[in-house]
Amino acid sequence: MNMEQLIIVVAVLPIFSALLIQLFSKRIGRGAARLSVVMTTLGFLLSSLLLAWALTGHAPQALSLGDSSAIMLFDPLGTLLATIILGISLIVHLYSVRYMAEEAAYGQFFVLLDLMTAALLFMVVAGDLITLVIAWYLVGVLLYFLLGQDTRSQTAYRFAFWTLITYRIGDLPLILAAALLYNAYDTWSLTFIFNEIMANPHAHQILGFSLTQVVAALVGLAAFARSAQFLLHTWLPYTMDGPTPVSALMHAGIVNAGGFLINRFAPVFVNGGDVLNWVFVVGLVTAIFGSLLMLTQNDIKKALGYSTMGQMGFMIMECGIGAFSLAIYHMFAHGVFKGTMFLSAGGVINSARQDDGIPKDELYTFAVEKQPKKARKPWVLMAAITLAVPLVILVFAHLLIAEDYFQKQGAVILLFFGWVTGAQLIFATYRMRSQNIWRMVGLSVLSLVIVVLGYVFISHAFDLFLYPDAAFRAQLYTTASIDILRFDVLVVITTLIIVSGWFITYYNEQSGYRQRQQSKRLWLNFYALISREFYIIDIYTRLTRTLLAISSRLNVWLRWL
Amino acid sequence: MTESMIILFAGVFLPLFPMSMIFNAVLDNIKQPWLKVVLFIAWPLCGLFIVSFSGVAIPDWVIALALFTSILYALRMLSLREVNQWNGFLATSLWSLLWLAAITDTPEMLLYGYALSMTVPLVLLVMLSAGLEKRFGAAYTGLYGGLARTIPRFSGVLVTVIVAAIATPLFPTFFIMFDLVVETVSIMPMAAMALLLIWLLWSWAGTRVIQGLIVGRASNVKIADFGIPIIGFYSIVLLGLAVAGIYMARVIL
Repeated sequence: MNMEQLIIVVAVLPIFSALLIQLFSKRIGRGAARLSVVMTTLGFLLSSLLLAWALTGHAPQALSLGDSSAIMLFDPLGTLLATIILGISLIVHLYSVRYMAEEAAYGQFFVLLDLMTAALLFMVVAGDLITLVIAWYLVGVLLYFLLGQDTRSQTAYRFAFWTLITYRIGDLPLILAAALLYNAYDTWSLTFIFNEIMANPHAHQILGFSLTQVVAALVGLAAFARSAQFLLHTWLPYTMDGPTPVSALMHAGIVNAGGFLINRFAPVFVNGGDVLNWVFVVGLVTAIFGSLLMLTQNDIKKALGYSTMGQMGFMIMECGIGAFSLAIYHMFAHGVFKGTMFLSAGGVINSARQDDGIPKDELYTFAVEKQPKKARKPWVLMAAITLAVPLVILVFAHLLIAEDYFQKQGAVILLFFGWVTGAQLIFATYRMRSQNIWRMVGLSVLSLVIVVLGYVFISHAFDLFLYPDAAFRAQLYTTASIDILRFDVLVVITTLIIVSGWFITYYNEQSGYRQRQQSKRLWLNFYALISREFYIIDIYTRLTRTLLAISSRLNVWLRWL
Repeated sequence: MTESMIILFAGVFLPLFPMSMIFNAVLDNIKQPWLKVVLFIAWPLCGLFIVSFSGVAIPDWVIALALFTSILYALRMLSLREVNQWNGFLATSLWSLLWLAAITDTPEMLLYGYALSMTVPLVLLVMLSAGLEKRFGAAYTGLYGGLARTIPRFSGVLVTVIVAAIATPLFPTFFIMFDLVVETVSIMPMAAMALLLIWLLWSWAGTRVIQGLIVGRASNVKIADFGIPIIGFYSIVLLGLAVAGIYMARVIL
């Protein structure tokens, strides 16, 4: 079997599996699950083979399906993501074999799961706009039915509908972008279009704007809807009534599609002017709001939902700073991590009912029993660590990776973000008043070093694999860069926020944590706002009801004709 | 007869508001399912025949009115609960877009192909709605629900037919809509935006019908589900429709 045949087999296996189960589900009964698992395992092994082939430096393969305009493109991005999708799908399949055993539509569930795997595969290996749009669209439709697996549950369907309508809102800009590109370049082939754009980025105009910029903005919008960015996020934390394997698949794979889409259209974004800066802003706002909302949830699955929203914000933000390949790594790492959390959530809840299992260590006494005690290290020392560690990492990155690493705004923002997170971690450690404070500090610093250095090195490795052209990589970072003065002002503001955090802590300690009445009220109002999830869902509900009322009124006026 | 009169007359069959109300009034008064099927197939073909036979030039105001009609009926579908009425409104919303296809360089025979392939899922829905009336006395969403548990085969077909009707891949209406967006986006960007809005409203209305019928607890009363031959019939038609969609994609895109 040659590589071309292998590629087709990988893409077609899940469809073949779904078809077999649909046709023979009565005869094979529970064997449907085994069949599906075997097919997915086979698909995963074959795609791993393709990935190994790509890793050894073989050129990307583009296969035309018959004499149609459909093309399957096995480039590094497609091959890597196909393997990840099949890997996560295999884990979800294995988990579902027993988890879904009591469900009435057991066979149908595996049909839908296989079709979803196929749609995701076709999405990542699509080499033409039609296949991409079809796969992109079908993912939303299939997810709707997977989330509504329990047909008795009105709630499951209600939130599955939220997902579908948000996804449909995201489909529309992609369709528009595809239509614009076809009109301009008279081909559906992505490779051809991207080559033309790279050769002459602003050859076409639409309504007085550069077509490349308009398409980048439209693709960005499609990615925002799919990856639950702020204002298009409400579906994500509420779709928890679907089966747990579907939640895992959704949070580990499907929701990451926004990052994939931006990567697929990298040649458009690299010539898309300010669009990447807007992508960064949207990602940043989502990361902040997602994390804030996650902290206030008392439902484990909803908290995980908002955590995913925050992570998606971070992933989109990475694209916004030009770290495209890092977003792919983030997608993979978050997929594995969040998938594991969802699949083990039920087990954790179950064992927590028997025994809370929390060791009565420093963390427990601080977080649960609210008993701050023991000595803690001086304020100045902890603040100094916050400043010293990132500086050391920056120097390391400078020496080990690239001489000009320091000069890349994207890399600096990334490290800066690592610093902000690390500062928060060290700050929390400081407040914990541990018995073994050095151990705690050591672990915090170590995690910070691993996270930031890991990101730097892995980002570099992914960069080399996904974007081997050094000039293109440099162009990505350059496009994402902003005016140096604005950049410096933003860095100073963020630094001031962190430093003032330390000063407020110092002031509070000196004044014995006496809170003024006014600040207490302000804090409570802020908490109320977060607990209502910024009233976004209430606003959407009101808008929906208004639209339905208009529809009803029109029907009455026009006598239902 | 002046050109405007011809267009107004054609506007009864390729719905233009307010002439579009005639089709829905006729549909409302027909009780026999087979007559409804004939009406659904013949109505848009009559409209296309009038337009092509008369050779009338389609003015811009007709396109604007056709888009308005399509949006109006798509919006009104959101609050409908009677399946026959919903089907009629969807037909009105779909067929009015044939005006848009008629002004592009779509060959005449392909236009008839558009009309027919748009109508096949609606015809299937007529038959399914008759099946619902036979089993429950009415084809009404939110009235009984739980069809997925009570009559799983029937509801499987129902869901697929609705999905096909609201322009989902790989069914022909999806590719027709895609083609219309491609044809209009550069010359009439506002029309392309309107098409996308209509598409979104169909999806919304479609999911409301699906949820109103299939979701809920199973009925305690035993109700006859589809047998294998009927399932086979619907499967073949739907498969044929998907194949037609793929073929159409190769021809028009």
